[in-house]
Amino acid sequence: MGAIIKKEFKSYFLSPIGYIYIGVFLLTCSIFFYLDVFAYLSTDFPYMFGSAATILTFIVPLITMRMFSEERKNGTEQLLLTSPRSITQIVLGKFIAAALVVLVSVLLTLIYFGILCYFGEPQLGKSLVAILGFALLAIAYVSFGMFASSLTENQVVSAVITIAVFILLWFLPSFSSAFVDFSLMEAFYESFYLGTISIKNLVLLVSFSALFVVFTIMVLQRRKSVK
Amino acid sequence: MIEVKHVTKKYGNFTAVDDISFTIKDNEVVGFLGPNGAGKSTTMNMITGYIEPTSGKIIVNDYDISKDPKKVKRQIGYMPESTPLYNDLTVREFVNYMADLKYVKRKEKKERVDKVLKDVGLTDVQKKLIRNLSRGYKQRVSMAGALIGDPKVLILDEPTVGLDPKQITEIRDLIRKLGKNHTVILSSHILSEVSQICEKVIIINKGKLLAVDTPSNLEEKFEDDNRIYVTVEDEKNKINKVAKKIKNLKSIEFIKDKNDGTKEYELIADKSTDLRKEIFNLFPKNDINILELKKTEITLEDAFLKLISQKETEIEEKKKKEEEKKAKREEELNKMSKKDRKEAIKQDKKEQRQKEKDEFNKQWEENKKREKEEKERVKEVKKKIKEEKTAERVQNKTEKAEKKVAKAKESLEKGGKK
Repeated sequence: MGAIIKKEFKSYFLSPIGYIYIGVFLLTCSIFFYLDVFAYLSTDFPYMFGSAATILTFIVPLITMRMFSEERKNGTEQLLLTSPRSITQIVLGKFIAAALVVLVSVLLTLIYFGILCYFGEPQLGKSLVAILGFALLAIAYVSFGMFASSLTENQVVSAVITIAVFILLWFLPSFSSAFVDFSLMEAFYESFYLGTISIKNLVLLVSFSALFVVFTIMVLQRRKSVK
Repeated sequence: MIEVKHVTKKYGNFTAVDDISFTIKDNEVVGFLGPNGAGKSTTMNMITGYIEPTSGKIIVNDYDISKDPKKVKRQIGYMPESTPLYNDLTVREFVNYMADLKYVKRKEKKERVDKVLKDVGLTDVQKKLIRNLSRGYKQRVSMAGALIGDPKVLILDEPTVGLDPKQITEIRDLIRKLGKNHTVILSSHILSEVSQICEKVIIINKGKLLAVDTPSNLEEKFEDDNRIYVTVEDEKNKINKVAKKIKNLKSIEFIKDKNDGTKEYELIADKSTDLRKEIFNLFPKNDINILELKKTEITLEDAFLKLISQKETEIEEKKKKEEEKKAKREEELNKMSKKDRKEAIKQDKKEQRQKEKDEFNKQWEENKKREKEEKERVKEVKKKIKEEKTAERVQNKTEKAEKKVAKAKESLEKGGKK
């Protein structure tokens, strides 16, 4: 699996996509850091993520759309699937590589924490919890994006599916309170954002990721007999 | 050894591969032949485990691809048809990655990658991005990807397409070299290539297996006449008369006048008789000068075309017969009264259903039988392995016992000396 992770992670930075993702993410984070934290002269670092969480909807598809669609379109999928690696290894390898890219971008937000430290005394614990929650949210998004990418060989289609579902997940709770318990974004806002870890929300985010990793494996396994 | 047993692949109603069975021995170079869309690539994809057959079994060196895919895939190096590659990697990075995927040990990796790159002639471009390579080089990179890890079985889907003549001969030589200690399966459109490299040819058309044989056997099988071309200088136009004197001659055909006083003819005789000697003796005696005389041999190409057209006409005839039958029955029905007709149609439908049922049952039973056989085979293999293991154990034990005895003796002797 290590080989796949290494190659996938590297290939994000061989093409401009990895840089674009991290660049756009940090750009929006800077804006929100200024608007939500710096402008109020506050030291509540987690507030920055409040708006940044919505941006994930639009930038996570940037890194997930190519995961399987590109391989399928170029036919390189054939190389992977005929190598002595199981589908589970392949999917997990790709998932971990994409999750690492996201994680790197999230950890880079510690820069802002450093800036706050210079001006005041932000709470380290609260900030770390917020970062953890935000990372989990982003990884859950990655897992769904990967699933969408395994469905089609067209990168644009997979990106559009991903964005559409994320927007639904975002706004469904405002239509009916029945969805509140199942909304990823609510899970983040309800606890991690406020500096607390709730088991319920932690389980929701992690199990969502796991679920779509398993779904992706199933899709690929099934395609073997349909293709 | 690769065994393909009754493999079928269906896409909805379309049958891409229809009940194909064959075996390939170790260290054999086998060519897959067939027109476009014959099911060559599909069959290869099934052997590599990229797609799963709808029914049937594929066994590579005693491992079933659908049950032990990892073990099978470790023994196979596959070069897909359209040479898919990671364009943003360099040649060396790509081969390294393939080596990693195939569990090549880290210590041996550098050496092995170097060797493969040298074998396919890529050492000079190893630092170039694959994106910037020409088609021929990409083909070689794909080949290198298949070769790394030293798999026992090589499956090459059209390895020489898009190469220049020099590269083609290079790749052919490489395949021939590899064929000495690898099992190689390759598909190709170029029949001369297959007859040059391969020891065995598998011909498929429309998903059906038409022939499995050596190229020379195939050529022989389809050689129905003995044909001889002669170019003669025949001023008096006596050739037809003279030819009649030859025994066993079936016919003589005029091919063309070369306009320089020479003419070309074709003489046809039975498969078993060779006319060359007789012609050579007889013609000059009758003032016909022979300028050229040659026996034409049927090529693999002819055999291939014949085989395919044969099968196709067979299928067409079958279809025709069925249609005629249908038309006849319809006529009969039209002659009947309304009531009778209804009944007759009912009867027909019943019969049809019965037929389908029977067919299904037959297939079901056949499948059952095959499964039973397969189980027995697996049992036998397991038994064999067990026996071998027990034999080994017994041997080990006896060896140990012998050692003990020897030691005991030694100590005894030592004791005695003391």
